[in-house]
Amino acid sequence: MRPFEHLTVQAADEAIQALAGGDGGNTRLIAGGTDLLPLLKDGLVNPGRLIDIKPARALRHLTFDADGSLRIGALTTLAEIERSSQLAERLPLLRQSVVDAATPQLRAMATVGGNLLQRSRCWYFRGPFDCWLKGGTVCYMRDGENKYAAIFDQGPCRSAHPSDLAPALVALDATVSISGPAGSRTTPVAEFLAPPTNDERVEYRLRPDEMVTEIRIPAEAIAGHGVYLKAMDRRAWAFALVGAAAQVTILDGKVARARLVFSAVANVPWRATAAEALLVGQTLTPDLAAQAADAAIAGASPLAHNGYKVPLARELARRAILAAANLWTETN
Amino acid sequence: MPIRIVTTHLEFEGQVEEVRVVLEGEEPPAWGPDTPFQVVGKPTARVDARERVTGAAEYSYDVQLPGMLTAAGLRSPHPHARISRLDASSALAVPGVRAVYSHLNAGDFINPSSGKPVFGNELLYHGDLVALVVAETPEQAREATRAIDVAYEPLPFVTAPDAALAANAPMVNTAVPSNTISDEYPQVYQRGDVEAALAQAEVTIETRMETPAALHNSLETHGGAASWDGSRLTVWSSTQGVFGARQQAAAALGLPMTAVQVITQYMGGGFGSKLGVHRSGLLAAYASRQLGLPVKYMLDRTEENLDAGNRPPSVQAYRLGAAKDGTLAALDLAVIHNVGANGLWSSPVALPAKELYQCANVRTTDRAARTNLGTLAAFRAPGVVEGIAGLEVAIDALATELGMDSLELRRKNFAERYQLLDRPYARKMLLDCYRIGAERIGWETRDAEERRYPGGRSGHLRRGIGMASQLWGGDGGPPAQAIAKLLPDGTAVIITGTQDIGTGTRTVLAQIAAEELGYPLERVRVELGETAHGVFSPMSGGSMTLASVGPAVRMAAVEARKELTEVIGQLAEAPADALDIRNATVFNRETGAEMGGVSTYLEQLGGHEITAKGMRGPNAEDVTVRTFGAQFAEVEVDIGTGAVRVVRIVAVHDCGRIINPLTYSSQIEGGIIQGLGFALTEQRIVDERLGMVMNPNLGDYKAPTIRDIPQIDIVLLNEPNVVANTLGVLGAGEPPIIPTPGAIANAVGHALGKTVTRLPLTPDRVLDMLSTTTERS
Ligand SMILES: Cc1cc2nc3c(=O)[nH]c(=O)nc-3n(C[C@H](O)[C@H](O)[C@H](O)COP(=O)(O)OP(=O)(O)OC[C@H]3O[C@@H](n4cnc5c(N)ncnc54)[C@H](O)[C@@H]3O)c2cc1C
Repeated sequence: MRPFEHLTVQAADEAIQALAGGDGGNTRLIAGGTDLLPLLKDGLVNPGRLIDIKPARALRHLTFDADGSLRIGALTTLAEIERSSQLAERLPLLRQSVVDAATPQLRAMATVGGNLLQRSRCWYFRGPFDCWLKGGTVCYMRDGENKYAAIFDQGPCRSAHPSDLAPALVALDATVSISGPAGSRTTPVAEFLAPPTNDERVEYRLRPDEMVTEIRIPAEAIAGHGVYLKAMDRRAWAFALVGAAAQVTILDGKVARARLVFSAVANVPWRATAAEALLVGQTLTPDLAAQAADAAIAGASPLAHNGYKVPLARELARRAILAAANLWTETN
Repeated sequence: MPIRIVTTHLEFEGQVEEVRVVLEGEEPPAWGPDTPFQVVGKPTARVDARERVTGAAEYSYDVQLPGMLTAAGLRSPHPHARISRLDASSALAVPGVRAVYSHLNAGDFINPSSGKPVFGNELLYHGDLVALVVAETPEQAREATRAIDVAYEPLPFVTAPDAALAANAPMVNTAVPSNTISDEYPQVYQRGDVEAALAQAEVTIETRMETPAALHNSLETHGGAASWDGSRLTVWSSTQGVFGARQQAAAALGLPMTAVQVITQYMGGGFGSKLGVHRSGLLAAYASRQLGLPVKYMLDRTEENLDAGNRPPSVQAYRLGAAKDGTLAALDLAVIHNVGANGLWSSPVALPAKELYQCANVRTTDRAARTNLGTLAAFRAPGVVEGIAGLEVAIDALATELGMDSLELRRKNFAERYQLLDRPYARKMLLDCYRIGAERIGWETRDAEERRYPGGRSGHLRRGIGMASQLWGGDGGPPAQAIAKLLPDGTAVIITGTQDIGTGTRTVLAQIAAEELGYPLERVRVELGETAHGVFSPMSGGSMTLASVGPAVRMAAVEARKELTEVIGQLAEAPADALDIRNATVFNRETGAEMGGVSTYLEQLGGHEITAKGMRGPNAEDVTVRTFGAQFAEVEVDIGTGAVRVVRIVAVHDCGRIINPLTYSSQIEGGIIQGLGFALTEQRIVDERLGMVMNPNLGDYKAPTIRDIPQIDIVLLNEPNVVANTLGVLGAGEPPIIPTPGAIANAVGHALGKTVTRLPLTPDRVLDMLSTTTERS
């Protein structure tokens, strides 16, 4: 780890001032540090200055507003989401998305904002390889050890998005509130997270002088019911092989709103819009769920070692859709 | 005491060697099945539990000496390369950096175990050592490794063993003209005529088992701290053998053995990979001498997982022939070992095939390839874990082919005698293990509909039950010595040269001594992990610690107690053989009178300490001593996601007398958990195109977590093996890991109606198995 300067701020506006003083990218915010510190230690980022935003208490809250929408401060920890009885009752999908994320120690430190901004876990990116995502020319994942790779092709990089929380947020039509020197803007999580491109080799769209302050979830999304299912290669402390977030609203026996979003199948959370379209307006049955699950994986182009993710995604989708409608049982 | 020099035999991980030992005095007669005990056999918390859980225990990792410097290694980012340029000047300019060592300035430092320089300019695998930085803080040292300017000339490499053995393969090491270990390979063992027996057999099957490279991932990494006092060297080494470490360090530094002291008070796991002082310990000593300050070099996790050894990958191909009634007629096994860049031996993967079942026609062929990967190291029952998995899966496949219950098939082919030397086993309780385990797991209902399909036939869950057998040596042997001292204050000190590698050695040795002395456990202190006492004990490996050192401690305690009663008898004017000592209090056996605490007598001796020696006697000849056992696993497979959950494991092992049921159980549990990792989650992953290890860390190399651990039922047989040694104990370190992967593989095979051919059974593999069509009924 290179030596760096470390300063602490008490509020978002102080952080933005400090970021503005930094020379575009040389200054970094640090929240829980659970992703940033490993990146620093491995030399993958080398900022000259870190701004600790943890003392900014105003950014740490879970608030249901009168209109039924939810606001989550960027510094809220995954553990706080996990422990919230209100969320367990009103928004089980969100709570479920974090309970198997990382480990209890990490969840106690990991923040919602940091979770959306965590970098790829691809081992070519993290390891001593000059991969495309780090500025090189080759995605080693394509022809290499790709059992954890994306099955949907979104560009030059084949790394799979690691977050469990992000697909849940996309399924809930969440937006991100961002503050910068020019004021605030709001953008859907589904757009905030975007595949890396030649010019922007990161999985999110945030300028170096901006920060995330809040996540908002609209009331109409909360009105439904949902689940998050995560397949892992051990029973704790593992990134998803595939995760599936489903949130379904049923009115008068028919599906009124449906969202199905995967983690770990693409560069960013993958929304299965074709599957959603099949569900809406229909009575949800096991057969329909299976059809929707088939539609969800259409277009997948697996590599040599990640073909298993296709049936896995299909099965998790089927189960998640049924479970969101309380139709899932052991005998399905 | 009369001195004798005796020749005896010692088995270590499948190899029998002849050893000559000096013995003084006579061992006491063996504890019989009816010997009454006060301390032995009672569940006893570790004597050092408090230190361990509060962090007071000082591991090598924790050693902090005034002025101590820290080292960090720069590791090869190539599978095979020559260093064409190395410039350390920028690294030397990093604040706090004291030295950078490489082949340029330390090329003459030789590792005595390989005879080769510690720093070469040809790097043989990803993770091979390029250079070592020594700095004031660990952070400075690590950072400075990045500042070393190195140019590498990549060389052709090979990582797959069959490719390495093919004609025209790239040479793993340009200085060695062949990729095999030696001209002793292929190694062939033969009895009878396998081909003829296979040709005539009524039923034949072929199976295959590929096992992965597993990394030890000891919680404490390899390494040590070194400090010089003039020409005397002290090394705090994370080692399983302080005496071996001393020998290695003395040879490497050109010192007489008496000038080196090795200390290992607490040790955070080794599992066979820490039998010596390791290159890292030698480097700490080397750098410390150069710099005149204490130096610590503990590997970081990445270095550890690239350069501290592995359970090497195996590919096993079995051909079995049998009569319709199940009688095994032929067993052919071909193994390919991948021993890594500097491997000089191969593991006894074929041992179970040679020995476990009665079979007149057996052939095993071992081919071994060196490759451009990290070198193998012994890993808890090396070879036998893999070999049992391969053989026991083959036996299950044969049972299916025969339409026979697989346990019945095993009983049918039970080997009464040790077939390799045609001599008896001292004892073989394998049939008891089968019976008890089968009863506990409910073997007879394993095919019941409601058991196999917990969610009904249309549901996604399948349960299966499988088992595997275990065999292992573990009878230990000489030389192993102990000294017992009875201090005036009524406490006792037991001194041995063994080390407690985390198994509870301190505790069980204290129990043995307390038992024989008639002292309460708290009054016995065990000193170990230091060469300075000169009380030799073997390394803690091969499941031989208790069976070697325990009898020596017992003899020392017996002799000390004899002297004690002698002394008290003279002081109290009572016949020595009428005296009994219980709870460190003296009683007259005849009158029942209490005669006061031992210290009331010992204090009268003007500071004299009663000192007695004990040593492990020779092993029995003309008989093979083994531990046998069996594990039964119940698993639940989610056929939609490929997830395997182990529900329960029943473990029945004959490890002789159980000195401490608590430490015994923790060995069994630990072995099972490690075996479960091998079966389900753990594997080193190599990008074969690049020759690079993808997961040299604890995040991507997946050891089981607490949630992966099933219900574990341990059956304590607790039958003393009186042929083995005077305690009747056998090792329990390795036995419990041996059958776990095979039992789980067979349980998954049973659940899915398929034969497992590869470990670990990760969800992707299970989903692949489910999508292939070869069913078995
Ligand atoms: C071993 C391990 C296992 C894990 N397993 C999982 C898992 O199973 N599922 C899962 O979803 N995640 C997992 N994670 C990821 C973990 O959830 C994230 O590391 C964590 O949420 C990041 O939050 P943080 O507060 O620690 O971020 P930090 O490490 O502090 O920051 C991460 C990045 O976000 C930036 N940042 C942080 N907050 C803000 C803000 N408010 N505005 C702008 N930029 C900001 C930082 O500058 C930095 O670039 C795992 C992590 C580890 C280390």
